[in-house]
Amino acid sequence: MSDLLNIQNLEISFQSNNKNLKTVENFSINLNEKESLGIVGESGSGKTLSMLALTRLLPKQASVSSGSIIFQNRNLDELDNKNFYKEISGKKISMIFQEPMTALNPVHTIGKQLLETYLYHNNVSVEKGIERALEILDAVKLPKYKQRMDQYPHQLSGGQRQRVMIALALINNPSLLIADEPTTALDVTVQKEIIQLISDLRETIGMALIFISHDLGVVSQISDNVVVMKNGEIVEKGKTLKVLEKPNHPYTQGLLDCLFKLEDEQKKNQIKDTPIIKVKEISKSYKLPAKIFKKPEIIYAVKKVSFDVNFGETIAIVGESGSGKSTVAKIINGLINKDEGKVEIKGQNIEDIEISDRAKIIQPVFQDPYSTLNPIHTIGYIVSRPLTINENKSESEVKEEVIKILRLVGLSEEYYNRFPNQLSGGQRQRVAIARAIILKPQILICDEPTSALDVTIQSQILDLLNDLKTKLNITIILISHDISVVKYFSDRIIVMYNGEIIEMGNTNNVINIPKDKYTKRLMSSVFSLKKNDIKFT
Amino acid sequence: MLRFIAGRLIVVLSVGLTLSIVTFFLLNYVIDPAQAIAGEDALFEEIEQIREQYGFDRSITVRYFEWFSGIFKGDLGISYYWNKPVISLLIDRAPETITLALMSVSVTILISIPLGILAALNPNSLIDRIALGIAVTAQAVPNFWLGLIMILIFALAIPIFPVSGDKTFFHFVLPSIVLGASSVPAVMRLMRTGLLDVINADFIRTARSSGFYGWRLVFNHALRNALLPVVSVLAVQLGNKFGGSVITESVFAINGLGRLALESILGADIPTVQILVFVFAIIFLFFNLLADILNAYLDPRLRL
Repeated sequence: MSDLLNIQNLEISFQSNNKNLKTVENFSINLNEKESLGIVGESGSGKTLSMLALTRLLPKQASVSSGSIIFQNRNLDELDNKNFYKEISGKKISMIFQEPMTALNPVHTIGKQLLETYLYHNNVSVEKGIERALEILDAVKLPKYKQRMDQYPHQLSGGQRQRVMIALALINNPSLLIADEPTTALDVTVQKEIIQLISDLRETIGMALIFISHDLGVVSQISDNVVVMKNGEIVEKGKTLKVLEKPNHPYTQGLLDCLFKLEDEQKKNQIKDTPIIKVKEISKSYKLPAKIFKKPEIIYAVKKVSFDVNFGETIAIVGESGSGKSTVAKIINGLINKDEGKVEIKGQNIEDIEISDRAKIIQPVFQDPYSTLNPIHTIGYIVSRPLTINENKSESEVKEEVIKILRLVGLSEEYYNRFPNQLSGGQRQRVAIARAIILKPQILICDEPTSALDVTIQSQILDLLNDLKTKLNITIILISHDISVVKYFSDRIIVMYNGEIIEMGNTNNVINIPKDKYTKRLMSSVFSLKKNDIKFT
Repeated sequence: MLRFIAGRLIVVLSVGLTLSIVTFFLLNYVIDPAQAIAGEDALFEEIEQIREQYGFDRSITVRYFEWFSGIFKGDLGISYYWNKPVISLLIDRAPETITLALMSVSVTILISIPLGILAALNPNSLIDRIALGIAVTAQAVPNFWLGLIMILIFALAIPIFPVSGDKTFFHFVLPSIVLGASSVPAVMRLMRTGLLDVINADFIRTARSSGFYGWRLVFNHALRNALLPVVSVLAVQLGNKFGGSVITESVFAINGLGRLALESILGADIPTVQILVFVFAIIFLFFNLLADILNAYLDPRLRL
C-alpha cells in the first residue's frame, strides 16, 4: 500500500484579542490508501480543526502556522486556494458533517445539489450527470431514490438527509472521505445504519476514511488505526485493537475505563414495594396552527401513559427524540399541564400539592449545564436559592448548608463565590445537582443529565448521581437516549415511542430479551465496546 | 402551490373588501359630502338641494353598494372638482406614478443589493462602513428636503436634469433617486445581515467542502437563501412608493396619482379621494401577495 496522506507537524493557531493561541500542535498522521483512521477526542481537543485545516475550511480566526501536508505525493502547501478548491475539494477529498438537518441547502432540490457538484468537477453532459446522481443515491440506499431528485431537504428525515450528504460527498469518487461525527446528531437506531453504510461504501469505492468521533465504541467498529487527541495534541496512536487492548497514555486508559465501567454492576438502593409516584393515563396534545378550510391537526406528545415508581427505585425512560419522554418528565415535575390523567405523588394529586411543598419532594436536573445556571449569580447564591425561598434559615446556616452540599457533590468551598462561566461543563452539572438536592428531595428527575458532557466527565457525573442515590435514598427518574447509561444506572426501563409506552420492565430483561420490535432495534443499535470483544493477538 | 396562492388570494380579497367599507364610511360619514361640495359658506337650502340632487339623502349603505358595484362596472363616480369621470382621471395620471414607482424601486435595488452583498462579504471593512454611512444618512434625511437639495445641485447649479415636470425620461431621474433613496437603508441592511447569516450556515460549508468558491459560491449557493426576506421587504417598499409619490410628485411637479390625491384632498373631492385611497391600498395588498408568491417560489419550505 502506498501513502495517500501525510501530515507533518501541523500547527494551528487562533487569533483572539491580538493574541495567538495554539490550538493544535505537532499533529502528524500518515494514511495509506484505502485505510481507515479514527480520530478520537473530547470537544476542544482539536480533532475537527486539524481536519478543517486539511480541507481549507478553517474559521476565519484560525490559521495554519506551520507544518506540511502531502496528499497523493503532492505538497498541498504549494497549491493556491483556487486550484485547491478545483482539484482537491469535493473531488479528491470530501467531507461530511455532524448536522444533516442544516448541511444541505434548503432552497435547492436534492437532484440539483448533486448535479451541480458533479458537473462542477466533471466535464460531462447533464444527462450523464443525472445518471450518476441516481447511481450514487441508489448506492447510499436512499429509499425511493428515484423520486428524491425533485424533493427538497426538508421533505427528508435526518437519516435520509445524512445519506444524501454522503452521496454528495461521494459523487466524484474521492480518494479520501472525512466524516466528522456523522452520526452524533442522529437517533441511535439510525446511527448504526449510517456507520454500516459508510463502512460498506469505503470497501466498494476503495477510498480511505478519516472518522472523527468522541465515541471510542463507534470508532472501534470502523477504523483500522486510531489517533487519540487531547488539548490539541496527539497523545496516542496505533492499530485500533492494540490501542484498545493496551493503551499507553493514561488519558486513553481513562476513556476506556469510562466505557467499561458502564458494564459493571452498581450499588442498588433499597426499594420498597410501595409506589411514590403513580402515573395514570396521562395525555398531552398540541394543536398545529389551523389552515383555511381545514380542521386544526392534533399531535399527541404523550398518549395514555401509565406507570408507577416505587420508593428508592431508579426508573429510566428511553426513546428517540420526539418520543414524548421529556414531556412525561415535565408533567410529573409540574412544569407543564397535562390534558388528561392523574399524577399522584405519595398518594396526593400533583395539582393539590403547594408549589413550595412540591419543590421539597421533587427536583429536576436538566441536560445543558451551560444554560441552566444564571450567569450573573455566584454558585453560592444559585445553590442557596431553594433554601432561602422555601425555608426560614439564618444567613450563616444557609451558607453552612450550601458548603456542605457543594462538598457532597465534589466541589470545594472555593467555588462558593465563583460564577458559572468560571466552571467547566462537568462542574456546572455538579452545581445543578447540588441545587437540586439541597432541599433533600425524595425524587430527582434527570433529563439527559450527561448527554451534553464529554465521556470522561459523563462517567464522573454518573458516579456522583449513583453515590447520592444510595446516600440520600433518592428515587430517580432518568430520561436518556443512551442505553449504556441506562443499563448502568437503572432498575427498570420504560421504552417510549410516538408518545406511548411500548415496553416496560426490569432493566436486564428489557436489554437482553426485548419483546417489542422497536425495542429490539433500539438495543441492537448500541455500539457497546465490551472487554471480551477485544481479541488479544 | 396553487392551493397556497388560492389561500393567500382569499385573504387579500377579504382585506380588500374590508378596506372598501372602511374608506367609504370614513369619507361619507365623518364628512358631509353635500357640505363639502357646496363649500363652507353655503346656505342651508343650497346644501339640502345638493343633497337631493346627488342622492346623498339616501341611506349610506345603499350608497356604498352603489359605489362598490360601480367599481366592477368601471364606473368610479364623477369627480366634483374636475367634473370628469374619476376613471378617466386615474387612467390619465397612472402612467406617471407607475413609471416613478418602478424607477425608484430600481434605484433602491441597484444601490442596496450590491452594497449589501459587498458589505456582507467583507464585514467590518471600509466598504461595510461606507455602506453603513449611506444607510444612516439615507434614513435620516427627509424626502422633501433631499428633493430640494437634488434640484439645487443637479438641476440649478449643474444643470444635468430638468427641475420639474414629467415630459421625458430625464424628468424622472431626480425624483426616482429621491424616492428610491428612502428604501435603501432597510433593504441594504436586510441584504447584509441575511447574506452574512447564510455565509456562515452549514450548507455553505458543505458547498465549500465540495470545492465551490468565490462568486459562484455566493450566487449559486447563498444568494437565493439571503434574498428571501429582501423580496418581501422590496414588495412592501414598492407599495410604499405609490403612497410616497404624494410628496415627491408635488416637489417635482409630476402629474401623477400622488399629486392628484393631494389636489383632490385640498378640493374636498370625495369621489376621487375615496377611490385613490382604495386603489393605493389595493396596490399595497397586491404587492404583498406578489411577495408571498415569490417567497414560496424561492423557498420550498413555504409551499404548504
